[in-house]
Parts: sequence; structure tokens; C-alpha cells
Amino acid sequence: MNQSALAEASRTVESSSETVLSVEDFTLSFSESAKTNLIEGVSFHVERGKTLCIVGESGCGKSVTSLALMGLLASPPARIRRGTAMFGGKDLFALSEREKADLRGNDIAMIFQEPMTSLNPAFTVGHQIAEGIMRHRHMSKAEARAETLKMLQMVRIPAPESRLDAYPHQLSGGMRQRVMIAMALANRPKLLIADEPTTALDVTIQAQILKLIRQIQEETGTAMILITHDLGVVAEVADHVAVMYAGHIVEQGPVDEIFNDPQHPYTIGLFGSIPTLGRRQGKLATIKGAVPPLELMPKGCRFSPRCPFADQRCRDEVPPSPQLGPDHTAACWYAPLEQKLGARQ
Amino acid sequence: MAIPTLFLVSLIVFGLQKLLPGDPLLTMAGEERDPAVIEFLREKYRLNDPFYMQYLYWVRDVLTGDFGNSLRTGVPVSTLIAQKLPVTIQLAVMAMIFALLIGIPTGIMSAVKKGKAPDYAANAIALSGVSIPNFWLGIILIMVVSVQWRLLPASGYVPLTEDPIQSLRTMLMPSFVLATALGAYLMRHTRSAMLGVLSSDYIRTAKAKGLMPRVVVLKHALRNALMPIVTLTTLLFGELLAGAVLTEQVFTIPGFGKLIVDAVFTRDYAVVQGVVLCTAVGFIFMNLLADILYILINPRLRHPQ
Repeated sequence: MNQSALAEASRTVESSSETVLSVEDFTLSFSESAKTNLIEGVSFHVERGKTLCIVGESGCGKSVTSLALMGLLASPPARIRRGTAMFGGKDLFALSEREKADLRGNDIAMIFQEPMTSLNPAFTVGHQIAEGIMRHRHMSKAEARAETLKMLQMVRIPAPESRLDAYPHQLSGGMRQRVMIAMALANRPKLLIADEPTTALDVTIQAQILKLIRQIQEETGTAMILITHDLGVVAEVADHVAVMYAGHIVEQGPVDEIFNDPQHPYTIGLFGSIPTLGRRQGKLATIKGAVPPLELMPKGCRFSPRCPFADQRCRDEVPPSPQLGPDHTAACWYAPLEQKLGARQ
Repeated sequence: MAIPTLFLVSLIVFGLQKLLPGDPLLTMAGEERDPAVIEFLREKYRLNDPFYMQYLYWVRDVLTGDFGNSLRTGVPVSTLIAQKLPVTIQLAVMAMIFALLIGIPTGIMSAVKKGKAPDYAANAIALSGVSIPNFWLGIILIMVVSVQWRLLPASGYVPLTEDPIQSLRTMLMPSFVLATALGAYLMRHTRSAMLGVLSSDYIRTAKAKGLMPRVVVLKHALRNALMPIVTLTTLLFGELLAGAVLTEQVFTIPGFGKLIVDAVFTRDYAVVQGVVLCTAVGFIFMNLLADILYILINPRLRHPQ
């Protein structure tokens, strides 16, 4: 095969389902000496134009994961112990500070939870957006300003010309989050990480912002990781879902499978749906207990102290993540639940 | 705000003088203390008029630039102030520049390197800066730099207009001595202000844009940490305008500090009043300047919601 045919072939493969980011075995701790890692063996991938929702309760490690991908975790104390995050042929965890800074806000961008405090009160919003454009695209001030105006129009801010010179305190929370989105998308990132982008907003504004994010994603084909604990948001925007519990991904798969056929007891509890398991029905509607502190984490499955199905093996041995369908895995000794638990009882 | 403050200050300055024990006329009248002479002097200086009339006369004179004459030497107070003020201002400006050059960069570095060696070093130096007495440091500097190394003049004052180089050389050591404590205060305040700002969400946003650490710290963080630094700088500068008695004494600089101490000891009311009023005006002006700087720094004060 000659060179051009090879290139042609690889391009077809890429365009069919192009993986933008692939995280393998990501493991992180917050101190040198800790026996238990805060995040252990997390793997997932995101495809071009698709949205991966990472769900889980607060403290499960979803925000830490996103900050680690951005290279924004202070190290020390944070320490990446194992794992790779392949992005455009480079491992994000192995880059130098300078290389990370060159990627940030350029190929990978992030929207944060708190729009009220995420903008610098001392500079106009136009300046803050243009600054990122000039940093990565070597534009003149005037060009960057024109580009900023385009971005403000893209995020549907009314009267964008007059907003260019507005200071953050002159804008509402929803408007500020639109500015944050404009800032994040200004350099057409391949990957957008949104950490609870609507949590701090009014419900009506939440819907508007979600719709906006979806529309822009369709227009630009950006891959997105959306971090949330709001299952309504998941249903709205996700293509894939990864459920995190205490630093593990306990289950991941396509959104309809996770919603309609969850296989990990934690996912089932989280989604408040119940598997058809006869006598145990009804007991799973709430998850009993609380996440144990890191030093009391069991050796095996981290959910075992709260799991109604857990036995000694669950507590002692880390469960495998069997493939339950295309792209659907659940880290549980009893997955798929219907077959294995049904057999046990 | 500045005007009522000024009025109150003038009233206090004038009133305090009247409450002080001791009679300047006894000093002026000399050994003989002829009652007729004293009475003549009382009339001459309107000391027999009611208090408020004395105050009004005084205010009228001050507003026309006449602070009266020194009760002791007869020299117009305005002349004395005109002589000493440039000295004090030069000393204050140079000390402040030193303090800012020392305090702000070390404060920033200390905050950025929090908990690491540079932070500990900066804090140790700041502590010694506050702890070392000015007069002691001054004497040591004179002994080492002037006497042993013969690099800088040990004392005296040369007006800036006469010989700029020599003027700066004579003021170098005293302003540095004054700057040690000021620089230490500024360093501590810069450090704590920067620490507060560096952990804020918008700094994370700035980093998420891929901005270089230098831009994040010096532009996004420093701009927001500037308020407390401006407050402290203007207050400290106001204090410097009151003169620095000990430092002036050690380096024999004819500044405000020496003028007012001498005047107080000889109960030279007119001089004390003039100098204190002058200092107070300087202080109020610095506060006004701080308010203006706040508005320049903080857009929230410029564009209310």
C-alpha cells in the first residue's frame, strides 16, 4: 500500500468515531504516604462531538479528575500515581508545565461551576475573552476584539457590542456563565470540560445554558465532558455516562443503557430505579450509610459497606469490570445483576 | 469628607495648644519678667481675646499663608515650613520608593512560594525589618558605609536643586533605614492579600485560559490584591510626612521631625500649630489620594450596578 492510500485509510477510521481523549488507569492521591488512593484506576474515553457525563455525589472525585486533565491541580499535594490521558497523541499527565499551558484554553477548555466568582472583577469581560484568544492565536488587539464579539454573539448575549466593555459585576449569573462559555470556546477547543456548569444558576437559566451548550456542540463538533450530580442534566445532554463512586468508575455506558438497564448496585441506587429481584424490591430507593473516609475504605469494592448485595469477596477483592454490552461496563462481582444474583437466590 | 476633617483637625490643633501647661511669654520675656512686658506681649499676640476669636484670627491668617512667627526666634513659621518641607518630602518619597521596591516583590514571591524556602526567608527578613530599631540601624550604617568604607556621606542635607547627585547620596542611607520597617509591613500585607486572591476562582479561570504564570500573578492576581497595598502605602506615606524624629536626629537632617520636637520643648505654639496642621493636611491629602486610587483600581466603585 502506498503512502497516500494509508493516509486515506487512517482518515476514514478517524472520521467514523474519533476518540478525542482516552484516559487509562488514572490513579491519584493527595499525599505521598496515603495507602489508599483518592482516585483509583479510572478509565474512560470521549469521542468527537459526543458528551460524556461523569456523575456521582460530591467528593467522589469527579471535579478532581477534570482539574487533573486540565493540569490545574496543585502538585504537591496532588500526585498522579499511574495512568495516561492520551489527547491528540500526547499524554496529558506527562506534559511539561509549559506544554500544559499551551493546551489549556486552546485545545482543552473548561467551564466552572461558579460563574459569580469565576470572572476577574478587575477587567472587562471583553478583555478577559480576548486575552485567551491573543494568548493562543497571535492576533492583534483589534482582531481579537472582533473575534470576541463573534463569541458573545455565539453564546447569544443580547447587545453584545455593549457587553464587550462591561465588567463582570454588571452582568447576571446566567450572563456571566455565557461569558465563561464564550471564553472557553473562543479558540475552538477539541475538548470542553464543564464542571457543574448549571448548578449555581436558577432553574430556568439552567435549561437555557444547557440548550446553548448542546447547540454549540452541534455547531462545532467539540467533545465534551460534563460533570454533574443532576440526573436531569444527564438525561438532557449525555451520550455516554460514567458513574463515579469514591474515586472509582463503578459503571459506564451509553446513556439509555445506564438509565434503562443499570447494572451496578450504586447506579441503581443513584437512579432510584429497582431491578426485578423479587423480595429485595423497594429497599434500594435510598442508599444507606455514607461514603467511608479514605483511611477506612475497604480493600475490595469501595461500595461494599453500603451495598445490599455485598458479601465477603466484595469486601476483600477489587471487582472486575465485565463488558455487559457495547461500551457498557460495571465494576461489580455480580454484574450483570439479574443473572448472577438471580442465580444466588 | 476631607473638608470637615480639615476643620476638626484645625480646631484640635489650635485647642490642644491652649490646653498645654506652660507659658511661652515667660520664655520670651526673659530673665526680668516685667509684668508690663508680659502684658504687652499678650496684647500683641491677642492672647487676651476669647478663645474662638483667637481661633478665627488664626484661621484667617493660615488661609492667607501666614502661620504667624515663631514665638522664640521671630522667624515666620511659613518660612520654617518652606525650609523643612522639601527635606521631609524628599526623605518620605525616597523611603517609600525603597519600601515599595522591597515590600511588594518579596510579598508577591512569598505568597507564590508559600510554605517554601523563599517564603520563610522573606518572613524572617520582614520580622527583622520590623524589629531592628531605626536609630541602631542608622548608626551601624554610618559606621560601616560612611566611616569604614567611605562610600556615602554620614549626615547632613543637600537640597535637590543645588546638587541632585549629592542630595540623593546623602538621603540614601536615611531613606533606606526608614524603608526597612515600612518595606516589612508592605511585604506582610502584600503577601496576605496575594494569598487571598491567588486561591480565588478567577485565578483558576486565568490559568484555565493557558495564561503564563507571570501574567496570572502580576496581572490577574496583583491587580485585585492592590487595594490593601494602596491603603497601607498612603497611610505610611502620611506618617512619613510627619517627619521621622529618630532618623533625622541620627543623620542630622533638618526635617519636620526635628522642627516639631524642638518647637514642643520650647512651647513655640505657632511653629507646632503650623507643622501639625501641615502634616494633617498631608495626611488628609493622602487619604483623598487613596480614595481616588481605589476608584481607578476597582471598577465596582466606578460603575455601580
